[in-house]
Amino acid sequence: MTSTGQDRDRNGSHTEADIDELRQRLRSLGYLDAGVDRFVLGSARETRTPSAIALLSSLRIGALGGLLLGPAAVVGLGGRMPGLITSTQDAIVLAVYLISFFAIATSAAAFVACLAVAWMARRMGTEMSNRARRLSVAAGIVVTLICLVYLTLWWQTASAGLGWSAPVRTMLALAVAVGISLLLGHAVTVTALAVIVASSGHSLQVPGVPGSSWGTSLAAGALGFVGAAVLLVATAPAESSQTHTPALTVVPSGVRVRVLAIDGLDPAVFEELRAAKQVPFLSAVFGAASASLNLPITETDRRDPARAWTTIATGQPVERHGVYGLETRRVAGVQGRVPLERTAARVVSAATDLLRLTTPSVASGTERQEKTFWEVASEAGLRTVVVNWWATWPAPTGSGIVISDRATLRLERGGAPDAEIAPADTYERLRQRWPAIKAQAADLATRALGSSIATPELRPLLQRSLELDADQIALASEVAGETTDLVAVYLPGLDIAQHALLSPADGQSASASALSQRLQAIRDYYVALDRLLALTAVASPNEVLFVVTAPGRVAGGGEGRLAARGPIVRDRAVVQGRVTDVSPTILYALGVPASRETAGAPLLGLFSDAFTTRYPVRHVLTYGRPSNRPLERQGQPLDQEMIDRLRSLGYVR
Amino acid sequence: MIPVPAFFSDYQARVDAELRTLVPSEGEPVQRSMAYTLHAPSKRVRPVLTMLSAELCGETPAKALAAAAATELVHAASLILDDLPCMDDAPLRRGLPANHREFGEAVAILAAFGLLNLAFGTISRQYEPALASRLNRLLSEAVGTDGLIGGQALDLLATDQQISFEILERIHRGKTGALFSASATAGALTAGANADVIAALSAFAKNLGLAFQIIDDLLDVEGNPAETGKAVRVDVKKTTFVSFSGVDGARLLARELCQTANGALTPFGRRADRLRELSAFVAGRNV
Repeated sequence: MTSTGQDRDRNGSHTEADIDELRQRLRSLGYLDAGVDRFVLGSARETRTPSAIALLSSLRIGALGGLLLGPAAVVGLGGRMPGLITSTQDAIVLAVYLISFFAIATSAAAFVACLAVAWMARRMGTEMSNRARRLSVAAGIVVTLICLVYLTLWWQTASAGLGWSAPVRTMLALAVAVGISLLLGHAVTVTALAVIVASSGHSLQVPGVPGSSWGTSLAAGALGFVGAAVLLVATAPAESSQTHTPALTVVPSGVRVRVLAIDGLDPAVFEELRAAKQVPFLSAVFGAASASLNLPITETDRRDPARAWTTIATGQPVERHGVYGLETRRVAGVQGRVPLERTAARVVSAATDLLRLTTPSVASGTERQEKTFWEVASEAGLRTVVVNWWATWPAPTGSGIVISDRATLRLERGGAPDAEIAPADTYERLRQRWPAIKAQAADLATRALGSSIATPELRPLLQRSLELDADQIALASEVAGETTDLVAVYLPGLDIAQHALLSPADGQSASASALSQRLQAIRDYYVALDRLLALTAVASPNEVLFVVTAPGRVAGGGEGRLAARGPIVRDRAVVQGRVTDVSPTILYALGVPASRETAGAPLLGLFSDAFTTRYPVRHVLTYGRPSNRPLERQGQPLDQEMIDRLRSLGYVR
Repeated sequence: MIPVPAFFSDYQARVDAELRTLVPSEGEPVQRSMAYTLHAPSKRVRPVLTMLSAELCGETPAKALAAAAATELVHAASLILDDLPCMDDAPLRRGLPANHREFGEAVAILAAFGLLNLAFGTISRQYEPALASRLNRLLSEAVGTDGLIGGQALDLLATDQQISFEILERIHRGKTGALFSASATAGALTAGANADVIAALSAFAKNLGLAFQIIDDLLDVEGNPAETGKAVRVDVKKTTFVSFSGVDGARLLARELCQTANGALTPFGRRADRLRELSAFVAGRNV
């Protein structure tokens, strides 16, 4: 350029390309565009020691890294941990945390990289002048690559595998990722170069900051873009999980479905009582005119009702539906929750609890990544009611009537709702009717327990538990009408009573006679529950009643059951099934097509030949993921009240 | 041509008055030699830059006046030395015969050292020790081997030589940029500015200094001695910025450098308008 440029001058002709090249060379020398360099090295301007330059500049690089990578990480984390971010405020609070984290991490990485480069430069001695630029560029490239790989994989996660099916967004995201990576890489290069020059005691003449020209930057950017695109393709999931959600077409089967979910039912005790003809209603469902099957439930699922009943409701294993446990953690200042599925996470959460960075919380619907059977039915156009099922709070509008697991707490406390019941007018109606509903439930419980039970001294406990079940049944009766297609009610009373009477801590200290008395009280509860169900049963010729049971927290067996009774049920059928089959079976009875993504399948053996012939199983590719439906949130969340209640019932410690 | 900004005359007058106090025109030959170059017609860009920087950082221009005078003293000394026969052998400076032609080489050299010495002494006298120490260190670096002396040495070696663009930049950085940056930084230091402010002002001065030098090169090619006050085509044996970019390219890049200089002032908002006027003046000057 030098000779050519001067020759050209004498001939009086300099092209725009010549000027542009000069422009780029000026940039490499710190002119024309040195904003980043000035920002990075600004605080180190007054210092001369290499370590001080590295430290002060690394802090600035950390600030850049935090601001550029932190917000991106929030989006990624939101994708990885559904339920963590529930509002803009959550996102902002998390962004503050992650900006701080990335700022510290980037600062530390830049500091170490700069010192390492300076150390290498010192070892090279006289060769340093020639190698200074290369070393600093190498440090910048390493940082650029790390940053680019991180951001590309982040996009893979944040876009839920959308990848090249949304090319404009993906190209834009990759371009931004390349830009951020090059910027941070350049900042590290500049700092490393400054540190090397400082190490040399000012004897080093460096011709300029590398990589400042547009040509180099664009070439590096293009190369980075291609690399990121290849990485994106290479790490793309084999099958996109974000497929189009087709419209669900219901073939009306002419039946209405009622689902009673009984937690804590021990098959052994039930069979004993059934043989003694003490539970006629349930015997009728499980017996001659019904079908039943066994539902193996893992020990972990058995002990965690939120986990087990979400599996039943979605037809998907825990890894798919995302509700790992009843106990979760809330990050300080964030409404969303972090599930604790691993021991390591529990240890970390215990530590963060101590530091008040996280607080205990309860599983909620925001963590759930799969649709429940009532949501699918509602989206298919059926009228649905669900009452008290685990992890149903916050209740979204547009998914039928949802009386969530926090509904009774809100109804008892009153005040503005926080999405405990949807739609909102249902809450207003139930709040006005709540005293009457409670009175009706208490009356039902009293009648169901009867006047002569074998364990009168434990009657208050049984009464309280039975009232809890009666509350749910009464609430369902209150909101369900004759045109309701699906009613699903979760009944916790048996499990709560069992846990109160036979929890390991109490059971071990009890005497033999006391233990015998408690076992009898549980039998009394089975009998009372059976009477309660009989009292509230709705006789309808076109109703199919499903009774789903799980062994609960203290029952010995790890087995649940599904029983069905109704006009379309095969007589005396006994089939084997999985816990994930319950949801598809209920939807099949309603005429809703099955999803090929669901782990379970309809248990056709439960249904009559006429029904299965007339209504063959239809499939859709997917039900899709739960959408962010609007929530009616006006009041204060009942988080602490919910924890206190669950603690009093023995669910959380 | 863009006229000298209106506010300039007030600052120039204050600098001139301070310089006349420091170096009276009467006295021994060396004293008169010092005054000859120092009081010759000048735009006083560097001292004005110092005072504007101090003002931008919230200090009164009066506080920076001594530092501003010191930068001009250093600049005048460098001009005397640059014009010597053993250096550029320039016949004209500031519209007058070069110092050595009027007073002889020996006196001129002594006058240059006298001016330099006075610059450091003025700062030491006018400021408290800590600030004086920082300002003197700043000036000594601007004069030293990374500044004026280094730039001039490279310039001498480059005469009749083909040099690279990077070497040319180092010459300009040493001969012009170093004192421009020192002028802006000195003003900020007298105002107790923080490192970020100093870095922004330094970036402003760095870009402005190179633009100033490029315009100088242009004036050497196409300027009028009556207006510039110095001989033209004296750099014909040297590689200049114009050698690389041509006249139009040099003018374009000088303008871009001034725009970048203004960009560095963005954090200061309207408070930096006077510095922007200074930059506009540098970009459009023909003297």
